[in-house]
Amino acid sequence: MKSSLRLGTLESRIYTIFTLMVFVSIIIMQLVSFRFTINTVRSSTLDSNRAMLLQLVKQMDSYIEGMEQVSMAVAEDDEIQSLLKEVLPERRGTDTDLFYSIQDRLHNYIQAREDISDILVIGDNGIIIPSDLEAEINPWTSVMEKDWYSGAEKAFDRMVVSSSYVQNIIKNRYSWVVSLSRAILSREDRKIMGVLLVDLKFNRIKELCESLVIGRKGYNFILDNEGNYVFHPTQQLVYSSIKEEPIRRILSLIEDPERTSFQEGDRYFMVETSPLTGWHVVSVTHDSDIVTDWKYVQIIYALIGLILFLVVGVATNKISSGITKPVRKLQEIMQSVDTGEFQLVGSIKATDEIRELAREYDIMVGRIRELMEANIREQEFKRKSDLKALQAQIISKGRELILIRDEIEHVRSYLTIQEMRYKDKFQYEMDIDPDLWELITLKITLQPIVENAIYHGIKELDYEGYIAISGWLDGEVIVLEVKDNGQGMDEKQLQEMVQGLETPLEKRPLFSRQGMGVRNVHERIRLYFGQEYGLYCFSTPGKGTTIQVRMPVSTMEDYL
Amino acid sequence: MKNWYLLLLSLMFALILFMALSLLYNSIGPEISVPEAPIGIVLKSSIGPAMDFWVVVDQGIREAAKEFGLKVEISGPRFEKEILRQIHVLENVISKNPPLIILAATDYAQLVAPLEKAAAAGIPVITIDSGVDSDIPVSFIATDNIVAGEKAGREMKRLLLSSPRKDIAIVSHIRGTATAIDRERGARTALKEEHILGTWYCDVEQEKAYLITKSLLGNENLGGIIALNEVAALGVARAIDEADAKNRVLVVAFDNAVKELSYLEQGVIKATVVQRPYNMGYLSVKTAFDYLNGEKVVPFIDTGSVLITKENMFEREYQELLFPFSTEP
Repeated sequence: MKSSLRLGTLESRIYTIFTLMVFVSIIIMQLVSFRFTINTVRSSTLDSNRAMLLQLVKQMDSYIEGMEQVSMAVAEDDEIQSLLKEVLPERRGTDTDLFYSIQDRLHNYIQAREDISDILVIGDNGIIIPSDLEAEINPWTSVMEKDWYSGAEKAFDRMVVSSSYVQNIIKNRYSWVVSLSRAILSREDRKIMGVLLVDLKFNRIKELCESLVIGRKGYNFILDNEGNYVFHPTQQLVYSSIKEEPIRRILSLIEDPERTSFQEGDRYFMVETSPLTGWHVVSVTHDSDIVTDWKYVQIIYALIGLILFLVVGVATNKISSGITKPVRKLQEIMQSVDTGEFQLVGSIKATDEIRELAREYDIMVGRIRELMEANIREQEFKRKSDLKALQAQIISKGRELILIRDEIEHVRSYLTIQEMRYKDKFQYEMDIDPDLWELITLKITLQPIVENAIYHGIKELDYEGYIAISGWLDGEVIVLEVKDNGQGMDEKQLQEMVQGLETPLEKRPLFSRQGMGVRNVHERIRLYFGQEYGLYCFSTPGKGTTIQVRMPVSTMEDYL
Repeated sequence: MKNWYLLLLSLMFALILFMALSLLYNSIGPEISVPEAPIGIVLKSSIGPAMDFWVVVDQGIREAAKEFGLKVEISGPRFEKEILRQIHVLENVISKNPPLIILAATDYAQLVAPLEKAAAAGIPVITIDSGVDSDIPVSFIATDNIVAGEKAGREMKRLLLSSPRKDIAIVSHIRGTATAIDRERGARTALKEEHILGTWYCDVEQEKAYLITKSLLGNENLGGIIALNEVAALGVARAIDEADAKNRVLVVAFDNAVKELSYLEQGVIKATVVQRPYNMGYLSVKTAFDYLNGEKVVPFIDTGSVLITKENMFEREYQELLFPFSTEP
């Protein structure tokens, strides 16, 4: 009961160890499975992200390819060839049938391809043909200075793809485009006659990048092969350093064919390079979007852990108390031995071992009970017979009485025998007032006292013992004294002895046989002469003990 | 007697387990609290493609709202000069008790009273672009217009070095607005050794700026005009263009309306100081997010400004600032 509160008990030990083990294993299990879940979700998300990224690059390239097709078709155009061959003074060629015919064709391409913003033919002879019928060439900018123009002339017969930029070639129009430019070569002598420019609406690429994202915080951005931004959804934040992208790591990732993605902070970066443009499309996924319901997953896991723990906790409780309950019951019953009761365990609900233990215990208790009962019976019998003997003595009063002279003689002969037995162990002296000789005493009064003095006072001494027996009259009282120089008694022993003398025969402890004779004397005197007479003890430890017998004066005549 | 003890022990362990697991998961995915209700945002002008500035601010706001998972409700008067209407709109927003209010004040003084109501209702306020004469806003996110004005002033001073005409006029958009006051102050600081004729106000009307400029052109000594916002700049540039006086009177402007940039290409406007409205919008919501999450926010964030000339206007870094993607058709 109370004991189960203590840590040392069997039950609390079992319980604590079980609980700790379960606790640790649940934690480990949760950790492992949680990590596993996260990693599975993460890798599958990243896989689908890669598929999405590839899709993005493919679609982007298809835009560029579309432009290329347009560009190829236009560059080979016969009319353009012939128009650019003309050497025209002062742009007169802009108002010719040929010019309008070409412009119409370019315009048709634009109409058919809504992803193309403009197509322009720029001739070295000064002719510029825009696809837009109303477009006016921006007079404040110079075509020759444009990268797409000089780049195309330099690349000769290859196409040049620009980065994203604001096209300002048309007056009052500033549009974000990606340009594809190529030199127009003369069919006859392969000489550069001008440049064909196809502008792709950058919005198309932007929309593409913005549509194929994962989660709320995911986004894509594009770098050209020099690491400059072609597109970034928050370009201004990047340029003013409010946001930063790990450009260097991205570029190093491109060079490393082994790796496809990396993590920085809570963002995952994945790069795919377009074979057509050489642009690097970077997909960014935020960790919080990978497992969107973090909190939900977290609570579920915590709850599962909690429930498991509680279930196992209750089970552990049952198991441990199932083991310890019978043990404790057994223990409680066994504790009854302390108080002298011997209870039986009887039938008990427990395991075989505990039941066997209980049975053996019960057999043992049974034996002990039998033994004790036998012992008690024996003692009882003895006491009863002692009492009978005493009563018999008292009834035959006459035979009990003796002259003091005879009692003295009796003791003397006893002492003589004892002297022979304990040679040189003690000396004795007798000094009896002769007036006492004819007076009466009870039979065997002095001998038990002397015997007591020898046995308890003198026998164990390592020096010579001495017993002085004296007798005198103290008024109307006869005093017989036995004095020894033995080991004596201390206060406590003396107390015990006096108490022993006063305890009635029936109430004495069973096994205490000590001083039976002396006590007998005391009782007999009291029975015979009255309560005011009897034995009186004095003792000093180390010095010796004195016992006096006090009786009233009486002669033989008093009893006749 | 023993059951309560075991139960207690179980519960204790369970609690520890729960806490340990929660802690573990929290360290993997930190959870940030975001209010359910939308943040109330009151801008200066809600419509009109002419004011591209606010369209871009709007873009920045929406990008940040998406990134931080905040809901926003954007409103405002139609035109910047409608101060009373903005007060009305703001009071309406306050009555909805949003978790936070972002305000671009149309007036430095008159918007203080409604903001006090917001403060009384326990709604924190962040101001953007133009502040108010009050300590209530927890943060002010704007271009440092004094610095922007100084940039314009310094450029004007540099341009005038090679011009024989030294007089300078300032055409301001409106009297009493913080942006106008600060820009003028900055410009005057940079030009304190030059001769400034004075400041004229066009009351955010292009036509008025045009007329002011026409009359200013009568002054033979006029060498430069600083136009303090895009409306003023467009009026000034039109007058200069019509008079074909672009090499006689040099114009330094503010903002980046498409028409202004066209004038910049033509050389009618020599330089323009451009703000970063996208960043302003973005940072206002980011600051709101930080504030709502109990983080410390700084009382003032300068979103910066850039001096744009014909030479650098098509540079990669500035292209998207001048021609935002969002305004593309």
